[in-house]
Amino acid sequence: MKHSFLTILLCATSLCTQAQDTLRTGKIITNAQMVGIGTVNQLDTYLSPEEYKGLELRYLSHTIRENGTKFSRELVHQSHLAYTKNRADNNQEIGGAYNFQYNVLYELGKWDTSQGSLKVKAGGGIDANLGFLYNLRNGNNPAQGYANLNLAPTIAANYEFRLWNRPFQITYEAQVPLVGVMFSPQFGQSYYELFAKGNYDHNIVLTTIGCAPSMRQMLTFDCTLHHTTLRFGYLGDYQQAKINGLKYHTWSNLFMIGIVRKFSITKIIP
Amino acid sequence: MLYALRYRTYKMKLLSVLKLSTICLGVFIALFTLNSCVTNDEFEDSKRGNFEALWTILDEHYCFFEQKNIDWNEVKERYAKQFDDDMSEKQQFEVMANMLSELKDGHVNLYTSFNMARYWSWHENYPQNYSDSLIRKYLKTDYLIASGMDYTIFDDNIGYLHCSSFQRGIGAGNLDDILFYFQPCKALIIDIRNNGGGALTNAEELAARFTNKELLVGYMQHKTGKGHNDFSEMQVQTLKPGKGIRWQKPVVVLTNRSVYSAANEFVKYMQCCPNVTTVGDRTGGGAGLPFSSELPNGWSIRFSACPMYDKNKQLTEFGIVPEHKVGLTADDFQRGKDTIIEFARSLINAQ
Repeated sequence: MKHSFLTILLCATSLCTQAQDTLRTGKIITNAQMVGIGTVNQLDTYLSPEEYKGLELRYLSHTIRENGTKFSRELVHQSHLAYTKNRADNNQEIGGAYNFQYNVLYELGKWDTSQGSLKVKAGGGIDANLGFLYNLRNGNNPAQGYANLNLAPTIAANYEFRLWNRPFQITYEAQVPLVGVMFSPQFGQSYYELFAKGNYDHNIVLTTIGCAPSMRQMLTFDCTLHHTTLRFGYLGDYQQAKINGLKYHTWSNLFMIGIVRKFSITKIIP
Repeated sequence: MLYALRYRTYKMKLLSVLKLSTICLGVFIALFTLNSCVTNDEFEDSKRGNFEALWTILDEHYCFFEQKNIDWNEVKERYAKQFDDDMSEKQQFEVMANMLSELKDGHVNLYTSFNMARYWSWHENYPQNYSDSLIRKYLKTDYLIASGMDYTIFDDNIGYLHCSSFQRGIGAGNLDDILFYFQPCKALIIDIRNNGGGALTNAEELAARFTNKELLVGYMQHKTGKGHNDFSEMQVQTLKPGKGIRWQKPVVVLTNRSVYSAANEFVKYMQCCPNVTTVGDRTGGGAGLPFSSELPNGWSIRFSACPMYDKNKQLTEFGIVPEHKVGLTADDFQRGKDTIIEFARSLINAQ
């Protein structure tokens, strides 16, 4: 009796020890690293009344963190460089920007079909942007700096299906900033006044969907070849504002390509 | 049980709100694609379209219509008749240049690949009061050069600094070296004649070496809208003492009609500093910080955008009168003497 009690105790201890070696958290992380190329149309009336058109290169890191519940978190980092020319093709602008998004999404529904399943998510988060636009010819107004922070709702729809015994996925995602704050010089204010003299004149502006109607949308298609999931897609990024008597727009239409990695975290306890 | 019921009710409400938000967002996306584009009025790239664009850019951004008493609508009416789509590019340029000269502003230019429209009457219609060959005689051959400025010490122990432009950055270390070199001198002559300007920060950097305390040197405004009178409040311009060696002895600043823009501002700053006297001819002015823009055909345009005033809120666009108005005489020129430099020397030596 005494021996059998000790045996049970030892077994239980050994089982417990084995169970504590690794902890499966149930978190699934889907990360896509993408690059894109496409056309861009830029207007900044502080620099020129003319629209500048040209080429844009973009890098995008898109991560979704799921934890087994209906809530998921989304982190987006993207940066781009643009090279554009005026209508007369005798002047250029160089622009660049970094964008960060942190969104929380809730799964509104999941519908199974004979071929796959459709998920619809909605939520929102913050959208932060930092950028610049440099006009190669201007004198005292050669460049413009951009900085804004927005609260933006997001919707996403995702359809997973199988064809020819292979997994495929189509995803559409859209984000529209509702309210935010944005930096902008006044209509005719020089950067010399702003930064050399520190003269503030309504340079941090509250923006709404009315004066800054912007939108980002992305449609992607995932397919798996051997053990690699490739993502192809279209990214439409339309950032606009009409503040302090100035008008801005950056309309980007890009073809994106990248690799998707999906993994879960297993904690190992020494 | 009650808790579970409440939880279910909240969940249902949350779901309804999210679904409603999704529908709203969907509707917005549809509306956005239809009519939310932020665009600018685009003029067509024709002779008349470019004229309209030029007139509009200045109408919305130029800052001295009121001070110069210019009826810009009347100007449009007068010049619009001269444009037609059969005229050549050079004829178009000529008529545009004539229209711009109505503004009587040295900061207004139209740049094309074949010519630059300008208004230079503010110095072309007056004596130059400057001779490069005379300056060479005063500098001799052993003068020093730093930050694009030539400097030497005259025989009567007066330092002479010739600053022909504020285009190039003036380093703090260079200024320390220059002022240290002038240390044994009893006074300093700063010759900025023919200095057509450059960066305001460079003019400030140099002027900051002549004050030991923060000074009110003027005011500045900018346009806040398209109206001819849409201006911000007057913002104070101050001159802070420079870090490094500061000059404590008398200074004479030499000016002529070609002192313009940032150089005009330099004279404005220096007139507020102690121990400073100005000698020469009235400066050319140019008190509107210029901005750039462009026409549909790609021609570049520059115009005064931000007006600047002196410490008494008087516009300095039309120049600054020196304390001692002196001109270069033909007799002195024949004798190899610069009347303005000689006047400055006698002023210093008389003290």
